[in-house]
Amino acid sequence: MSRTELAGGVVEGTITVDGVEVRYFDSVADHFATGESSRHPLVLVHGTGGSTRAHYGYLFPLLAGRQRVVAVDFAPPVPTQGPLTLEHLERQVVAVLDAVLPDRPVTLVGYSLGAVVAAAVAARHPQTVRNLVLVAGWMKTDAHQELRNKVWQRLREERSQALGDYMAFCAFSGPFLVASQALGDSSPALTAFEPNAFTDVQMKLNRTIDISGLVPSIAATTLVIGCTHDQMVPKWHSKALFASIPDARYTEITSGHAVVIERPAQLVQIIDQFTDAPSRDAAGDIVATARP
Amino acid sequence: MNPSTEPQHPGTADVEVVIIGTGFGGLAMGAQLKRHGRESFVLLERADDVAGTWRDNTYPGAACDVPSHLYSFSFRPNPEWSRFFSPGPEILQYLRDTAHAEGLLPHIRFGTNVEDARWDAAAQRWTVTTSQGVFTGRFLVTATGHLSDEALPPIKGLDGFTGDVFHSARWNHEVPLEGKRIGVIGSGATAVQLVPELAKTASELVVFQRSAQYVTPRPDRAYTESEKQLFRRDPDAMADHRSEIFWFLESRYAERRAVPDILDKARSQALNHLERQVKDPELRARLTPDYELGCKRVLISDTYYPALTRDNVTLEASALDHVEGSKAISRDGNTYELDVLVFCTGFETAEPPYARLVHDANGISLSDHWAQGMEAFASTTVAGFPNLFIINGPNTGLGHNSIVYIIEAQVDYILGALDWSRANGNHVLDVSARAQERYVDELQQRSDGTVWLSNGCKSWYIDPRSGRLTLIWPNFAHEFRYRNGTFDSAPYTAAETSAAR
Ligand SMILES: Cc1cc2nc3c(=O)[nH]c(=O)nc-3n(C[C@H](O)[C@H](O)[C@H](O)COP(=O)(O)OP(=O)(O)OC[C@H]3O[C@@H](n4cnc5c(N)ncnc54)[C@H](O)[C@@H]3O)c2cc1C
Repeated sequence: MSRTELAGGVVEGTITVDGVEVRYFDSVADHFATGESSRHPLVLVHGTGGSTRAHYGYLFPLLAGRQRVVAVDFAPPVPTQGPLTLEHLERQVVAVLDAVLPDRPVTLVGYSLGAVVAAAVAARHPQTVRNLVLVAGWMKTDAHQELRNKVWQRLREERSQALGDYMAFCAFSGPFLVASQALGDSSPALTAFEPNAFTDVQMKLNRTIDISGLVPSIAATTLVIGCTHDQMVPKWHSKALFASIPDARYTEITSGHAVVIERPAQLVQIIDQFTDAPSRDAAGDIVATARP
Repeated sequence: MNPSTEPQHPGTADVEVVIIGTGFGGLAMGAQLKRHGRESFVLLERADDVAGTWRDNTYPGAACDVPSHLYSFSFRPNPEWSRFFSPGPEILQYLRDTAHAEGLLPHIRFGTNVEDARWDAAAQRWTVTTSQGVFTGRFLVTATGHLSDEALPPIKGLDGFTGDVFHSARWNHEVPLEGKRIGVIGSGATAVQLVPELAKTASELVVFQRSAQYVTPRPDRAYTESEKQLFRRDPDAMADHRSEIFWFLESRYAERRAVPDILDKARSQALNHLERQVKDPELRARLTPDYELGCKRVLISDTYYPALTRDNVTLEASALDHVEGSKAISRDGNTYELDVLVFCTGFETAEPPYARLVHDANGISLSDHWAQGMEAFASTTVAGFPNLFIINGPNTGLGHNSIVYIIEAQVDYILGALDWSRANGNHVLDVSARAQERYVDELQQRSDGTVWLSNGCKSWYIDPRSGRLTLIWPNFAHEFRYRNGTFDSAPYTAAETSAAR
């Protein structure tokens, strides 16, 4: 275990899980932990090929002003332990919860594959996960996802020059790509992202996800966020989660899968307003996003 | 159509709501009262036309710097905007059309300067004295703007200047500028729009710059006919476009919050723009700011830097110090022989002019009340000033998004307040001093760590008397609507209300 203090009072630490070091970040300062508007700490779980920095570089500091925020960086398990499983990733999240926020209820936020992990953790740890936010998540991989995953796999194996463009094409919505170009804003995220061996095993795991048996037992007050133009985890997956989790409400953001880059401020808004009063919207509600 | 041709109604009138001003703020308030079936209101306007800022700022190159589809009312989307950033006259026309189409002209009293407003505790009404008689009303809404009264720095010898002098917001269209030697005082948002225009025809142009500004690219373009047709036929497409712009701008709040990676990216975007457009290292150095990005309004222009590299343009990197006859002498001691001086020196902001007009029941003015800087609960109401609402007042300004969004949230709050008061026996709304204090303290707390309070940041957003951030809303724009867009009666019914004063 290690702990280092970074700028802005954020602590970076590691803990050992299944023989590997798992890194986490902790904003430490417990705003609104008590008093009339008490809030549970937020715990952020990133998606495939991501990290706290890549997926929550915007959200972490902006949400940290409102309550304590902790984020986990997934670590590749030791290869001798066999293929990467969902349970590996769940154990990493639970270990960080136990080490950093022992005995504290939390609001767990998962994005993409992180939403799958978060949903599973929530189902198995109802005492800890009081509130749950699932952004562009899913519960059972379908034929549409398998097809996209297969093309990705093929391009990767062939070391194709087209892989970067293919990933950008899948990740971003058409309107965002067009608008970014018009605004002359070629954000670094649009340039090719380099997959590595850990990405490969996560992509493999993505092909076999099925937590449909677990999801109906989630007791947390849940917000499901779908992305209108998502081509990687199309919004019908979010609708399926919404339908299967008893205390769930649903809202949609006009973006592609890369919502953390396309609409980060809207994501902050929606998560912040949910954590402020998780049950404001009733279970089963489809909540329209506010028009500016 | 010229609204000023409407008949005037001098004399006294008693109404439910008295609104001062007919800019974006006053028109939004009037339109929503009307849309909610409330007819008993007047809009008092000292000028003879609507649109405030956009009636006054007629300088060459005037345009909005928030995209038009967002810098307009959500309840009056306009498929006809010609450009991403539409020119000033188009915004003026939009606001005139709004006044007309929303049926506000019969409610407007033009040429009516508000000279005094007092709360009459016995009558539970505001008495508003104007150049055209007295108006009384249960509620007073000030929408007099925060950039409506121009600021002129005291310059020694200016009275004796042999040429023409005017402020950018009071443009003198009689003065021919072609072939003239012109001095522009200031290098802020207005100068950046004006300088490229003047540079085209002036024989000589000198820009007096007190401090350098960050300037970023301006992605302007005309809307095509087919885009406009789509907006006419499919209003949802226009609403989506507006949302897209809103959330794009909203994401940039992280720069003001000084999130390192995001601020670094924004700063280098601005500095790269300078580097690309200005090759001369000496000029570039004079144009490089010495404070953090976002501390002052971040400017957008693709033509300002190139204008400064023209042979007929000089950047004087110090303020105008004094004037001797036809000579303008800078703080650094450089002398320029000039025919015209244009002041682009901004507006009275820390102490807004309306604060001197508005008095509580004991005759104490808002401005005395605000001796240590202005403050209000929900950025809208002030303890001790019952049934008063201030639009675009303390802590409402944005560095990153459209003020019209804030104004509309305030209008919704006020409508809620009026409804609640009516439903509760015309309950007088005096906010608790404690609620106001708590609100302001939390705002100041939330301002910590923002660029406005960073080292070396000196801007008009901060009150010089208290060092507090009194103009800016130091948060996301959406947070303003969430916190302040819905009326809640609790802070107005607490036992300590008014008695605590
Ligand atoms: C050149 C310029 C460009 C700008 N561009 C943008 C932009 O792109 N985006 C943005 O968000 N903001 C911009 N602003 C800020 C702008 O001020 C606001 O966006 C907005 O126009 C303010 O509207 P308002 O109704 O509050 O005030 P104003 O438009 O100033 O209207 C106030 C009205 O009240 C009247 N009035 C004042 N005192 C009295 C009195 N005592 N009696 C009677 N009537 C009175 C005035 O005559 C005026 O008509 C710009 C400002 C300027 C100066």
